[in-house]
Amino acid sequence: MPAKINYKKCIGCGTCYDLCPLDVFAWDKEKEIPVVAYEYECWHCGICWMECPKRAIDITYPASFW
Amino acid sequence: MALEHIADRVLETDVLVMGGGIAGCCVAAKAAEHGLNVTLAEKSKTDRAGNAAMGTNYYVVGAKPREGLTALELVKQWTATLHQVPTKTGLPEMGRERLSDLNILYEIWDKGLWAVEELEKLGVPMKWPDGEYRYVKDQLRTGKFDLTLSILWTNVKPIMAAAVKKRGVNVLDRTMVVDLLNSNGKVVGATAVNTRTGQFIVIKAKAVVIATGLFSRIYNGDMPQTWNYKFHYHWNPATVSGDGYAAAYRVGAELANMNMTGHGYIVDELAMGAGLLGRTDGVPGKILTWRGEEVTMTNARTSISKLAEMEQKGRTPLYMSGEDLPDDYHKRVEVALRDMRLASLKLAEDRGFNPRTHRYEISPIAPFTFYLAPGVNIDRDYKSLLDGVYTVGDCAAGLHGAYMAAPCGFILGENLPSITKNAGEPVIDEAQVESQKQAVLAPMAVKDGTEPMELECAIRYICDRYVTMFKSEGKLREGLRRLGSLRREFLPRLMAKNPHYLMRCLEVRNLMDLAEVHINACLERKETRGNYIRLDYPEMDRTWDNMITIQRLENGKPVVEKRLAPDLEPEYAKEEK
Repeated sequence: MPAKINYKKCIGCGTCYDLCPLDVFAWDKEKEIPVVAYEYECWHCGICWMECPKRAIDITYPASFW
Repeated sequence: MALEHIADRVLETDVLVMGGGIAGCCVAAKAAEHGLNVTLAEKSKTDRAGNAAMGTNYYVVGAKPREGLTALELVKQWTATLHQVPTKTGLPEMGRERLSDLNILYEIWDKGLWAVEELEKLGVPMKWPDGEYRYVKDQLRTGKFDLTLSILWTNVKPIMAAAVKKRGVNVLDRTMVVDLLNSNGKVVGATAVNTRTGQFIVIKAKAVVIATGLFSRIYNGDMPQTWNYKFHYHWNPATVSGDGYAAAYRVGAELANMNMTGHGYIVDELAMGAGLLGRTDGVPGKILTWRGEEVTMTNARTSISKLAEMEQKGRTPLYMSGEDLPDDYHKRVEVALRDMRLASLKLAEDRGFNPRTHRYEISPIAPFTFYLAPGVNIDRDYKSLLDGVYTVGDCAAGLHGAYMAAPCGFILGENLPSITKNAGEPVIDEAQVESQKQAVLAPMAVKDGTEPMELECAIRYICDRYVTMFKSEGKLREGLRRLGSLRREFLPRLMAKNPHYLMRCLEVRNLMDLAEVHINACLERKETRGNYIRLDYPEMDRTWDNMITIQRLENGKPVVEKRLAPDLEPEYAKEEK
């Protein structure tokens, strides 16, 4: 999985949902947390990972990048 | 029916800027500074949109008259780089080639330092934290002058987005402009869709500036195919579906150089930042075969045939490496590659990458999509064939890269007050809005149809299989035939489960139009020159010297023609002091 949210660290600030260039995230209004909704559209740019104020998102690169 | 009843939202503005990357932000900021009402529509989020979304690390400043380097000299060197073409003897032959109007290029180089100042006024850092400009050696142009700045632009986009908003620009994020509106031979606005709510928006404008990106997604990405993930790095962010190209083409504008592809080889997966290894010259990195034999490559544009030949002879993989080079070189590399995209650094770290010893694999055959030349054909005022449409940055023919995007954005921004003053009030044809709305929203009503990515992969397969680097008439015609059947069978069945997928459907529609334009341009240019290779026409055809392909729709039919790229005006061409 490319962008993975660690919900223990996530504070629900919405930065990842706000910034993702491909709009891979959706917003869960009830729980007020971001969800990876279109994970196969992730192109691994790392913007969510670098902008997350709590470092609650990790990017795992696909095996063929190795 | 009143416009308000057709559209969910109607806006009126002096200037509509389509795309919030570097070019879009620069033009919007400048026009707003002059008191114009500016609306900027961006498909993703302006704070992290466009080619520099993740940051970028070099910027070519242009002419440095105080040091004796003129814009004229740069134009000459630029075209000299293009003129080299491969021959059977291996020695480059000079073939005359231009990618656009040389006068535009002249003005951009001439105003380069001014654009640097303007960027600084927007708060964009051009200097390093110690207050110094860091120039790196640039082998591409002149040995005598250093023109390329190493810049710390990881956060250039958030800075630009804030600057644009501060100047009063109305920023519409997650808003994809789909089609342009025209009446009485003039473009008077555009229709757009909010990619989260599905809201259908009409934007009336005195002038429309297209500042969107390339259409690289007609090919598969430069990175290795990765299981399910279909959006890859294309030397540009994966948002590149040519939205501006396609909208302009559909409304009757001309597209130029649509046959052009990029350099034709990729430098392994770390290319996100390592593409600059060649730029950090001074001491060149060697290119070696897997046996360690050194390979000489004079110029990226001459090397594709050679790389392909080596592949066939079993001499690949080829590697580029700086491991035998002196310490001084590595220090220079560190300066030049400093602050590259953080994601590349993370990938490098995850892979245990050591820049001193890493051997970058060069893969010869993959086309590396669009780089230099294609775009909307514009005149010296960045105006397209159509009144009311202007183009800057990657969407303008021959003006690609951040260092072109910023100056042309600022220059056009300076001119927009007089352009809009004489434009008159926009009058919208409601029937046109209605028909665009029906076409745009159609995929929302389709059930059990085709997923947009399925169709996009089919288009990419056609371009990868039948167009790609080594072209011939038979393959191109087969590609066109297959594309036609996709258009007939699958385009009407495109299905959008929600507004997010509607955006993907509209992107696929754009890619399909542009793949067709691309193939038609390749069929027209029957010669081999630079990195443009037709296997059935292996020789250079001198009647194509300085010529470009031009395409447009006439009464719904595609037209292709061959046209001379304009000469430098006499007042520019004369030797300067």
